[in-house]
Amino acid sequence: MAHLVGVVAVLSLPNPRPAFAVALAAPLASAVWAASRLGGGETDTARLDWVEGLDLAVSFRVGPLGALLAVLVSGIGVLIFVYGHGYFGGGDRRGFAATLLAFSGSMLGLVWADDVWTLFLFWEATSVTSFLLVGTKSTDSAAVTAARRALLVTVAGGLVLLAGLLVLVDVAGTATLSEMGPVTGDQATVAAVLILVGAFTKSAQLPFHVWLPGAMAAPTPVSAYLHSATMVKAGIVLIGLMHPVLGAVDIWSGLGVTVGLLTMFWGAIGALRHADAKLVLAWGTVSQLGLMTAMMSLGSGKAIFAAVSLVVAHAVFKAALFMAVGEIDIRTGSRDLRSLSGLRTSMPVAFWVMVFAGLSMAGVPPLLGFPAKEAAIEASLKESGASGDLILAGVTIGSVLTVAYTTRLVLALFSDKGGEPTEVAPFRWAAAAPSVLLSALGVVGYVLAPSVTDWVVPAAATLETTSTGYALLRWPGLDSTAFWISMGIVAGGAIIGAAAARHSSPPEPVGANNVDRLVDRTLDLAKWTTGRVQHGSLPIYLVVMALVASLAVIPFLGSIDAGQLHAWDRPLQAGMGTAVVAAAIAVAAIRSRIGAALALGVVGLGVSALFLIQGAPDLALTQLLVETVIVVGFVIGLGGLTTQFPANGFVWRSVRIGTAVLAGTAVTVALLASAEDTPSNRESLTAAAVDEGGGNNLVNVILTDLRALDTLGEVVVLVVAAMGVLALSRADTARGGGAPLSDDVRKVRR
Amino acid sequence: MSVTLALVVGGLTSVGVYLMTSRSLTRMLLGFALLGHAAVLALLAAGGEAGERPISGDAPVAELSDPLPQAFALTAIVISFGLTLFLLALARRQAQLTGDDLVEDDLEDRRIALETEAEGHDA
Repeated sequence: MAHLVGVVAVLSLPNPRPAFAVALAAPLASAVWAASRLGGGETDTARLDWVEGLDLAVSFRVGPLGALLAVLVSGIGVLIFVYGHGYFGGGDRRGFAATLLAFSGSMLGLVWADDVWTLFLFWEATSVTSFLLVGTKSTDSAAVTAARRALLVTVAGGLVLLAGLLVLVDVAGTATLSEMGPVTGDQATVAAVLILVGAFTKSAQLPFHVWLPGAMAAPTPVSAYLHSATMVKAGIVLIGLMHPVLGAVDIWSGLGVTVGLLTMFWGAIGALRHADAKLVLAWGTVSQLGLMTAMMSLGSGKAIFAAVSLVVAHAVFKAALFMAVGEIDIRTGSRDLRSLSGLRTSMPVAFWVMVFAGLSMAGVPPLLGFPAKEAAIEASLKESGASGDLILAGVTIGSVLTVAYTTRLVLALFSDKGGEPTEVAPFRWAAAAPSVLLSALGVVGYVLAPSVTDWVVPAAATLETTSTGYALLRWPGLDSTAFWISMGIVAGGAIIGAAAARHSSPPEPVGANNVDRLVDRTLDLAKWTTGRVQHGSLPIYLVVMALVASLAVIPFLGSIDAGQLHAWDRPLQAGMGTAVVAAAIAVAAIRSRIGAALALGVVGLGVSALFLIQGAPDLALTQLLVETVIVVGFVIGLGGLTTQFPANGFVWRSVRIGTAVLAGTAVTVALLASAEDTPSNRESLTAAAVDEGGGNNLVNVILTDLRALDTLGEVVVLVVAAMGVLALSRADTARGGGAPLSDDVRKVRR
Repeated sequence: MSVTLALVVGGLTSVGVYLMTSRSLTRMLLGFALLGHAAVLALLAAGGEAGERPISGDAPVAELSDPLPQAFALTAIVISFGLTLFLLALARRQAQLTGDDLVEDDLEDRRIALETEAEGHDA
């Protein structure tokens, strides 16, 4: 709520200067509030029922996990706003700050949601705000393409997620997350796969990762916030939230772990190949997200604990890394690992930030990344059997590569390439301070590992109760297998990374190009379909609609009850009915306008007679009056027109006749199927009319008294129609104020 | 329910739909009027068997025809009357402006269709 106020406030600022300062007020407030709840056991809920019958509600629940994630989202948000102020320097950034704030609010809503529909709503909101933020440089075609790609991939994933949630709600019997029990079975499997796919798109897992590197076209504050620290974690969080419900489904952990580890591997390869520092970080993020996905879906107590720890550690170090790279970018105008030179002396702050945050990413003590990575390795060690070995191998190889690309990034970025050192613009405190703070937090987090444990354990325990026994260990001891694996990873990775730092050639973005081509094809197909389906001919639309509507009657075919039917109420009804239908056919058959109008009059008369037979004299009287006016109107209004209707081709005519017969049959069948003898309560109607309405003519009393408001509406409709008729017939009787037919109209006319 | 009435409703609907799918506004108007008749008769048929006119005191209450659908039908008659006259005025205006009362294809839609056809030939 505070975020909403903030968005409005930022947009309505008279002066663009303090936009970021005002914007950070809301996340600051929520960060402080959430931080005060860390480690505590209390849970707050808020629920606003929307449609009770449909179980639709906006519902939030802030437990230990919600508080922890909120601290990350809002805390890093505050730093991002400070950083944004430094990054952009000057200029009007109110729209940008407001969008970023809107994103921050959506993300909070997402992690706090306790209702699947609320969750979905905020999920989509983060997709949309992400689209706006990636496309911030709306004049840059690469940024626009990247934004479109990000939107289409994540929104397509959102649709899959929606389908999954629908299935899930059906099988779980409730839309409230905290009330869902574990589910299994075929339906649960379908839901599990759909929800996992949705999570994969958002968290950039193979093969949906292609949008994330492209999203680096966004300004660095956005990349640091959305595409590393927060939004891409939404998928991980979703997998975590669904673990208590769908964790027991067979395919859940198998699919999640496989995709996660493959992504970890492929992302790390990508990070080793690219020469743009920001792209290296982006691919590194893909890789790290893979590890988190694998841990979260593995689902053992230790694995969930490791996943939540990784989410925290990653948010802290990756935001710092992005901020440092962004700072280098704005001060040197380049992010190319191959050309930047001499930055170690000219940008010492950025250098040390990169070193500390990088060490945390590589999982080296004494930094927060180390115990988190240790937890992941221990969780893999705990898995037994061949699959356990595979998981351990995957995590190990992925981690080696992680160390490698981190080493390569830092070495290549800050090495002296010979020649002139790169020119560097003046230092900006606002662009540097947040990254310094975050990289320092990596150390602080390590020192205060027991406190961090106190925050992470209750959060992990809300997802998996067996997570309680674990802790983030500063020093696991020399007899720990995981420790030696860690050290091996660091050593191996450092050697590979140092070697890779020497040469690199940027690869072609294969996957991204394919997605773009797919998007273009889809748009072409949409256009083609539009051209075919929406061809602009009203009669064809009507035929299609009538045909489809007629098909709706098929389910009723079986429910015609012959016992409710009789041939006619009075024998006269049959004769008059035949006459009416015959006259109606005449209306269609007569090719002169006046003749058709007269035939319509005959139909009207016949219908009046049917009314009389049915016992409805008021209706008959009204129908007679109306029919007279209409026939007169026809003669006056259209008497001057060419007398003959234009004829049309045999085929089209047959189609129309076929459709018409089908529609008529459908209506008859529907009417017969709905025959049931339950008349309205005539006694009470009669009593009400006589006693309250003071009249004996029941129909009249109903219209003027019991349903007087309806009648008033009817009169209004008539008045409006009359005004329209008057206006149309008064509009210049000669040639009219309308423009003469344009050439276009003539061309299109057939 | 009277099968006759149901058949009459179906027949009126058929002819109405046939006329509605015409290109001439006048014929669409005729079709619309016929559909209106069909709707009113359907309402009436839904009211059950024919009976005495629904005036209290004329006959025992049980023998009266059901007044409620009649009230609905009366509203329907009046509304379709208003719409028919409005359509009539529209058709007349169209005839004034273009010399006939034919409904043209939507210009923008035709343009899109032509564009994609052209692209199809290129490929």
